[in-house]
Amino acid sequence: MEIEGQATVKESQPPKFALLVDSEHKATEFHLFSSAAPHMRAFHLSWISFFSCFVSTFAAPPLLPIIRDNLNLTATDIGNAGVASVSGAVFARIAMGTACDLFGPRLASASLILLTAPAVYFTSIASSPISFLLVRFFTGFSLATFVSAQFWMSSMFSGPVVGTANGVAAGWGNLGGGATQLIMPLVFSLIRDIGAVKFTAWRVAFFIPALFQTLSAFAILIFGQDLPDGNYQRLQNSGNKQKDKFSRVFYHGITNYRGWILALTYGYCFGVELTVDNIIAEYFYDRFNLKLHTAGIIAASFGLANIVSRPAGGVLSDMMAKRFGMRGRLWALWAVQTLGGVFCIILGQVGSLTASIVVMIVFSVFVQAACGLTFGVVPFVSRRSLGVISGMTGGGGNVGAVLTQLIFFKGSKYSKETGITLMGVMIVCCTLPIFLIYFPQWGGMFCGPSSEKIATEEDYYLSEWSSKEQGKGLHQASLKFADNSRSERGRRVHSQTLPSNATPSANV
Amino acid sequence: MSRISTWLITSSIQELITPQNSSSMASRVLVLASILIFSCFAETCYGAISFSSLQRTLVVTASHRQGLLKAGEDKITVRWGLNQSFPAGTDSSYKTIKVQLCYAPISQVDRAWRKTEDHLNKDKTCQFKIVKKPYINVNETLEWTIERDVPTATFFIRAYALDSDDHEVAYGQNTDAQKKTNLFEIQAITGRHVSLDIASVCFSAFSVVSLMGFFFMEKRKARKSQQ
Repeated sequence: MEIEGQATVKESQPPKFALLVDSEHKATEFHLFSSAAPHMRAFHLSWISFFSCFVSTFAAPPLLPIIRDNLNLTATDIGNAGVASVSGAVFARIAMGTACDLFGPRLASASLILLTAPAVYFTSIASSPISFLLVRFFTGFSLATFVSAQFWMSSMFSGPVVGTANGVAAGWGNLGGGATQLIMPLVFSLIRDIGAVKFTAWRVAFFIPALFQTLSAFAILIFGQDLPDGNYQRLQNSGNKQKDKFSRVFYHGITNYRGWILALTYGYCFGVELTVDNIIAEYFYDRFNLKLHTAGIIAASFGLANIVSRPAGGVLSDMMAKRFGMRGRLWALWAVQTLGGVFCIILGQVGSLTASIVVMIVFSVFVQAACGLTFGVVPFVSRRSLGVISGMTGGGGNVGAVLTQLIFFKGSKYSKETGITLMGVMIVCCTLPIFLIYFPQWGGMFCGPSSEKIATEEDYYLSEWSSKEQGKGLHQASLKFADNSRSERGRRVHSQTLPSNATPSANV
Repeated sequence: MSRISTWLITSSIQELITPQNSSSMASRVLVLASILIFSCFAETCYGAISFSSLQRTLVVTASHRQGLLKAGEDKITVRWGLNQSFPAGTDSSYKTIKVQLCYAPISQVDRAWRKTEDHLNKDKTCQFKIVKKPYINVNETLEWTIERDVPTATFFIRAYALDSDDHEVAYGQNTDAQKKTNLFEIQAITGRHVSLDIASVCFSAFSVVSLMGFFFMEKRKARKSQQ
């Protein structure tokens, strides 16, 4: 890896970074066990805070056997609360995307986390089915930190490692959904053994995820920064970063068809993951007559697979990009997600416990890797409206969760195993639109890059800025990004002629 | 039965541990899998005593004060004994008596975790144990304080007579066969405390106020760096 990138940046005083960087100061390497500012520190802050939000959102399900007796809930109440917990984040994720574009991921995520922490504290004083539904609904908003985490990683890490960074941050965050199935019962029994009554112990237990959430937000505010060069506000005041207009950012995001396709397909990897998080414990408990404790451990293992499977998806995306460019990323995404659908179909069909567990784990690996692969593609869809695209994709994930729970797992229309099989069929069908994604400068799954002279990375990313805006020089960051994204051509990078005034890219 | 399954499992583990060549590995895994599945089924088949096979030979009555009973505070007086109209010697196999608090049908609606099943090891009607003691052929009385983990619901009381293997052989309940008479309602504790309420509100307010504090400090720092 050449170090030209650092040498060619000659602004006032080039800051020293612990990692190799490109011309935008985004890191081109990823060192998991370092917490050097600003890149790796941002990584650790974002995955820990996202993990805490997942723990809070799914803290109720493992304690439901006690909560349902305390609050006199019916199965309908529980189902509605489950849908509510994932539906809040649909719009919150889109709003979060826009907020990141305008205010920066640090302030956007910390604000959301601190504003949803009260919902977790108030879960302790819930006293009826309605209050339970409301607290789960508002706590679910915190899942929008996913978008800020991805945005932050895409701002801190460059093309060759962005898939890995996004995959590990999101995967370790999603881990919270599995970890909470182990943490909450443990905290509950600790408090009960100290002497509290069951109906009080679960209430006290909720302070743990709430405090964790609050503290992680403080850490972000104190130790984090938006960009390698500093925070949005300071950069905007010193003129180094232009403040963008909400309407333009939003418009360019929602008019990009690739964002909508990715929103749909993400609904059938991440959305399916959320649905399975909600139903799998009951499925094993009922179908195989396991103890609740055992069913809970199996349910937790589904979410815990995230520790490697989602990062593996990100790593695979980057590996494919190195060899085949963006086309490789798209093919890998389609193949892995379709296989996930196939294993989902099989999961609904197998009738023995051992086979079910094995198929479930394979299914979880493929479905979570597909999530990681999706966010290997998202950073390249738009530069100006990265936040809105991330938000749309993330929101689409939650829409998928709401839809699959409503269609296949509400009431007794389908048995759980039939529901799982049909969900697998829907995954395979809703992954097909990836065929339609096409980048003029890199190609799509079936077509190569456009042979017209105007199909370069600069053309694609600058099409988001009007000539008036370009005249004012607002597009400089997109220009740099376009240059750095040339690695998405795969091995063909140097066979194309580069524009004469571009600096040679530092990461081939 | 549990001894048989323990033997099956240990022998299959021994099979796996002893070194073997890879060609027989697949068949051994298959054997192990089928043994595990078989033992799971075997357990469920064997332990299935059905409620409809039990005789109602016990008489159970429960008395309590009028109105809604409060968990943790109110008491229920339970009386049980053998129904004297049955021939002598009916209770020769009864070794233990188990008295339980059971959900009435109205509290089971839309709540699959309280469902009544005929097979007793799957039945979830009676989830609270009042007392379990050796059986004596005498009418007994117990005054039971309702425990604090009983939820808000409508209940009745049922007593099972168990034999020396701890299997149900007879029962009695204070309500009729349709579980419609003599039901009583219990109100659960909320589990809430004033201190919890105050802590929740304080921490929530702290989160929001600290956020504003951070914003304020950011604005001040930004203004200072501009000057």
